[in-house]
Amino acid sequence: MAKVLKEEDLIKNGKRCDGRGFEDLRPIIVKAGVLKQASGSAYVEWGRNKVYAAVYGPHEVFPKHMTNNYKALINARYIMAPFSGLDDHSRSGPNRRSIEISKVAKHVFENVVLTNLFPKTMIDVHMEVMQSDGGTRVASITAASVALADAGIPMRDLVCGVSVGKVAGELLLDLDKYEDNLGGSDVPMIFAPRNGDLLLYQMDGMLSKDEVERAYDMALGACKKIRVLQENALKEKYKEVFEKIKGGENGNNQGSY
Amino acid sequence: MKNLVVPGEIVSEKPYRADGVFMEEGKTLSAVMGVVEDGRLIPLKGPYFPKRGDYVIGIIKEEGFYGWMADLHSPFEGKISARETREKFRIGDVVSAKIFEVDEVGEALLGEARRLWEGEVLEVEPAKIPRIIGKSGSMVSLIKQYAKTDAFVGQNGRIYLKGGDTSMAVMAILKICSEAHVSGLTDRISAFLEKGGKD
Repeated sequence: MAKVLKEEDLIKNGKRCDGRGFEDLRPIIVKAGVLKQASGSAYVEWGRNKVYAAVYGPHEVFPKHMTNNYKALINARYIMAPFSGLDDHSRSGPNRRSIEISKVAKHVFENVVLTNLFPKTMIDVHMEVMQSDGGTRVASITAASVALADAGIPMRDLVCGVSVGKVAGELLLDLDKYEDNLGGSDVPMIFAPRNGDLLLYQMDGMLSKDEVERAYDMALGACKKIRVLQENALKEKYKEVFEKIKGGENGNNQGSY
Repeated sequence: MKNLVVPGEIVSEKPYRADGVFMEEGKTLSAVMGVVEDGRLIPLKGPYFPKRGDYVIGIIKEEGFYGWMADLHSPFEGKISARETREKFRIGDVVSAKIFEVDEVGEALLGEARRLWEGEVLEVEPAKIPRIIGKSGSMVSLIKQYAKTDAFVGQNGRIYLKGGDTSMAVMAILKICSEAHVSGLTDRISAFLEKGGKD
């Protein structure tokens, strides 16, 4: 007989089911500039999540009647591939959940992109989830932020996020699919890590006031680590060229650009 | 290595206004990826913003009673008034023009519009154009000299090449674009051109 997984099974001897501690992130890989046709693009592998983000524009507004004469519009589109999850996603295309995530992502980017520099234009931000394992909205927004920077669109900061949740009475950082589905509470948060601005906060389930404060601190601390990965991904391409040229010349890479 | 910045990093402790930066709490921060040199940000990426006095290369995309609209490889369009020019353009024509005025929504009014014949147009990252031109046109004249080609560099990231060894000129320009952020660019490009377009 197959055993049904319960919430209590997810934490054993102070470790989580995948061997992580309570405040550990899953391994994260960030790559910038992976798609040739897009103005900017990024790929994020976050544990078993695989997300592509692409940015097109700024370009002419379509439909034209949406034009804002004072700022650029942001058209965010989050979507999960029909083959992305363990469950049957049946049909491709937007559903209720992905429309919601597209909307919250749009509001995140409206807060960091300097939209007033591009009146009468529109910026398309596409986030495609290829494989999902919990926390895809934070992975998508983290990827899209790198894609925006790769496109050279002026922003106040890179944004990134992480989810915190409560499973079997413990606060855990960066929930995976099972912890998300079986746990008591799930709180995805998006930050602008430079000044700690909280740009997205959604809560499923319940947390006490103390737990909310602890969750905030855990997420902000983790976001500062993720921001470093984003920075490295963006700089990598330029560093490679630099090292190819300068590395051969004097053996050290301490020269200036 | 330390002066390569991403959005949100400090460029200068003093506030100032420039392309690709914004001010916050009396400091200047970068809004785009770039290289910081003496408290100034040189953007590595980013769209072209029309500026008064710039020479640009446009492609005619619309004709109206007022004149023509030109695509400027930018979020913003250029308008050629029929009064300003004696030439007639057709959709798809490549024109060189000077920006006379930029209005409050970024649209550029173009003058001195001339149709460009026969040559080739190369599109590159607009942020690299200052390096392609070089100090008072040194880099572009180097390319012209070796490739024996006629080149016109538009500030909007389009380069018009006509005659001579255009493939060598294109190779040199693409090399500039990928290596623009590493010092000693002029020496490398002249060596590249001397060898006839080989590394």
